[in-house]
Amino acid sequence: MTQTVQPPIMGHALRRVVFFLLVLLTTLGAMGLMVSVFQTDGLSPMELILLVLYAILFSWICISFWTAFMGFFVILTGRDRWAISRQSGLAPDPVAPASRTAILMPIYNEDSERVFAGLRAIHRSLADTGQLAGFDFFVLSDTRDPDVWVEEELRWQDMVRALDGKGRIFYRNRPENTSRKSGNLEDFCTRWGGRYRYMIVLDADSIMKGETLVEMVRIMERHPRVALLQTPPVPINRESLFARILQFAGSLYGRMFTAGLNYWQLGESNYWGHNAIIRIQPFLDHCGLPKLPGREPFGGDILSHDFVEAALLRRAGWEVWLAYDLEGSYEEIPPTLIDYAKRDRRWCQGNLQHLRLALSRGLNALSRLHFLMGVMSYAASPLWLLFLLATGIDAYFQTRHEPVYFFGENWAPVWPVSFAVEMTTVLLVTLTMLFLPKGLALLLLLKDGRLRRAYGGMIKATLSVALETLFSVLTAPVLMLFQTKFVLAILMRRAVGWPPQQRGDHMTGFREAALTHGVQTLIGIVAGVLSYQYVPAFFWWFIPVLLGLVLAIPVSMLSSSIALGRQARELGLFLTPEETEPPVVLDYLAENLEEDEPVLPVLRERPTSRFVQALTDPYVNALHLSLLPPREPPGKRRRHYLEGLIHQLEEEGPDSLSAVQKRDLISDPEMLARLHALFWSRPPANAGMLP
Amino acid sequence: MDRGKVSAAEPYLPPSQPAPSSEFVLARLGAYWQALGVSDPDQIAALSEQALRRAAESPEAPGLDAVARTLVAAGELLDDWLARALDLPRSSRELAAARAALLSGAAPNWPAALFAAPGEADTVLDALRAARAEPTPEPSPGAMPAQRIELFGSLASLRRLWRPQPRA
Repeated sequence: MTQTVQPPIMGHALRRVVFFLLVLLTTLGAMGLMVSVFQTDGLSPMELILLVLYAILFSWICISFWTAFMGFFVILTGRDRWAISRQSGLAPDPVAPASRTAILMPIYNEDSERVFAGLRAIHRSLADTGQLAGFDFFVLSDTRDPDVWVEEELRWQDMVRALDGKGRIFYRNRPENTSRKSGNLEDFCTRWGGRYRYMIVLDADSIMKGETLVEMVRIMERHPRVALLQTPPVPINRESLFARILQFAGSLYGRMFTAGLNYWQLGESNYWGHNAIIRIQPFLDHCGLPKLPGREPFGGDILSHDFVEAALLRRAGWEVWLAYDLEGSYEEIPPTLIDYAKRDRRWCQGNLQHLRLALSRGLNALSRLHFLMGVMSYAASPLWLLFLLATGIDAYFQTRHEPVYFFGENWAPVWPVSFAVEMTTVLLVTLTMLFLPKGLALLLLLKDGRLRRAYGGMIKATLSVALETLFSVLTAPVLMLFQTKFVLAILMRRAVGWPPQQRGDHMTGFREAALTHGVQTLIGIVAGVLSYQYVPAFFWWFIPVLLGLVLAIPVSMLSSSIALGRQARELGLFLTPEETEPPVVLDYLAENLEEDEPVLPVLRERPTSRFVQALTDPYVNALHLSLLPPREPPGKRRRHYLEGLIHQLEEEGPDSLSAVQKRDLISDPEMLARLHALFWSRPPANAGMLP
Repeated sequence: MDRGKVSAAEPYLPPSQPAPSSEFVLARLGAYWQALGVSDPDQIAALSEQALRRAAESPEAPGLDAVARTLVAAGELLDDWLARALDLPRSSRELAAARAALLSGAAPNWPAALFAAPGEADTVLDALRAARAEPTPEPSPGAMPAQRIELFGSLASLRRLWRPQPRA
């Protein structure tokens, strides 16, 4: 099902020419200034390195800046005839069968209570639109943790019972999580894909308004050439200071950036992995992912599958759009700096893998650019670090260079030429490109009174932008070192060590912060002492970077504070429209989490182990058994292994078994029934639920 | 590690009794029926008797002692009734789902239905049919062939320049 090639649209081409011309001219201008500084006494190898690094990094900043600027322009004028939501498309065919859409929530060892509270909020919001009948819900579990697995089953059954969702709300747990999330979705598509025209892919923490879901389907129906429509998820619901600052930035600047992305990407946009609707047939036809040759990090399973799927759809002639003006699409973000870095670690490898894919045959130019942008979002950090080091070394050699005032036949002294003006201009241009988008986002608030009030008013919003800028300056060097470490570790095929992980909202303790940021602090101190000692002029320029590193531990600890986050909210700082005027779907979510009154009595209990409950409680045991996929009876060797686990459980109790062993036991119907009988025939002394 | 030492800790599950007393077996059966939702002592006694008879007739199962076998038999009694009443195949996921529905509280008066004459348990059976979990819809499979991604395809022409193919 490949689409016929559509002739290029003049308006689309013009936008791209304008955008890339601006990026090119700005980069060339800045490079010209740099070259004029360097070339007076010839280019030294170090200067050549600096020039190359600056060219790469500056063009990266330029893409970001002009994207934001175009977004600013689009929102300011309110005119965007090419936005997919504003194109009329085809009139709906009254005789065609009504489309059916599957809402998919792939999960992996997540907090089940939150997952199902979110899904129920979406269900309720969709019911409010009166269009619920066109949608089915699928919880696609890849969970390996046996306790979470059993909890999910109970929460799913509770949701079905509470919402009368039999035959509409489905759940399955994959026996093997082959190819991770992409394999999880592929399993859905190949088993049930034929039942639906569209699938809306969510993440475990995604929330979407019912109206938005309905509108996404409507757009797809009107635009049969569109295979994928991405909505921009707005970060919500976190309370720590760190997360609230990020939420504010994501909300205020995010809408400008997404409008800008759509300005030049148009129907060759990208897929971000969730909060998107996908036409299933072309996805089936073109998005089966191969394993890449070679071993990890660049070979094996494709980790960041979303970019690749979008590229494959584009390769087959389908359109991929970013519906930047569709509101009602939300996600949650990591609560602390350390959690944020951990998420970066996961994403980094997948993005670096794209370096290989960017050069694949047959891909569209913009798909290649998407891949390179993904790579650059991580590779930029080591490049910035190299740039800083090279600048420092060059500055050191400059200080060692004795100026010669008399040479040749000159009788008058030849004064060294100062390039302070040019260098300051380069610096100012770079800083402007980095920080101007924040100012532009503020300017947009002047246009819209309702939005301005939603961000706490102009003064509070301006103060929030100033503080957010300060915070991003402080955390940028820390993230630079994190990402450099991740990139190097991945390139050297090494695991990156972490202090023990804590889940849920928590304040980063001193021990965790010191273990994570200790080396960064040390690097900051050593770099400070060295630069002060040997290149004092450079030291003062270097202070923002040094300060971020030296203060990494307190900044990480303080920013993780929920109390400070709440206090900032009371002061009207970092407010977002989702905080000041929460959409109804977020109220539903909050209600579900606060008033957790399950229909199933077994969920009102909080046993220490759902695994043990699956062995002892007749209902939980029967439900779990009924959800196990059909399988061949175990072979002799496997049976011996399972028998051994039962003996271990009888002797040493459930705590002696690993999560994998527990999962193996409750994955086998025969062992499950046998353990149920064993527990009831010989109840352990401390099992309170057994009489 | 001192291999001479033997752990003196009690095992997690008490050891199985080679010849358990009938009182002990009946007590375990009674507790189990109660956990399933049967509270009437007469019904418990009648069901326990049936379970004991069934266990005595069933072959020895590896790894299960006499008490565990009677508990398995109790579960099988329930499954037999559900399979018959709801017309479901034995040892199926549907039957397991029906048992789960029965134990979920969807039909609280099911023990009475168990002893009722055919045709008198329709309300309970309807409630069970409605409450039976349906985890996934009927399959409607589609093929998803792995796509060909030719890595470094763009560099192939450069490579060819570097290492020209020998002419045939």
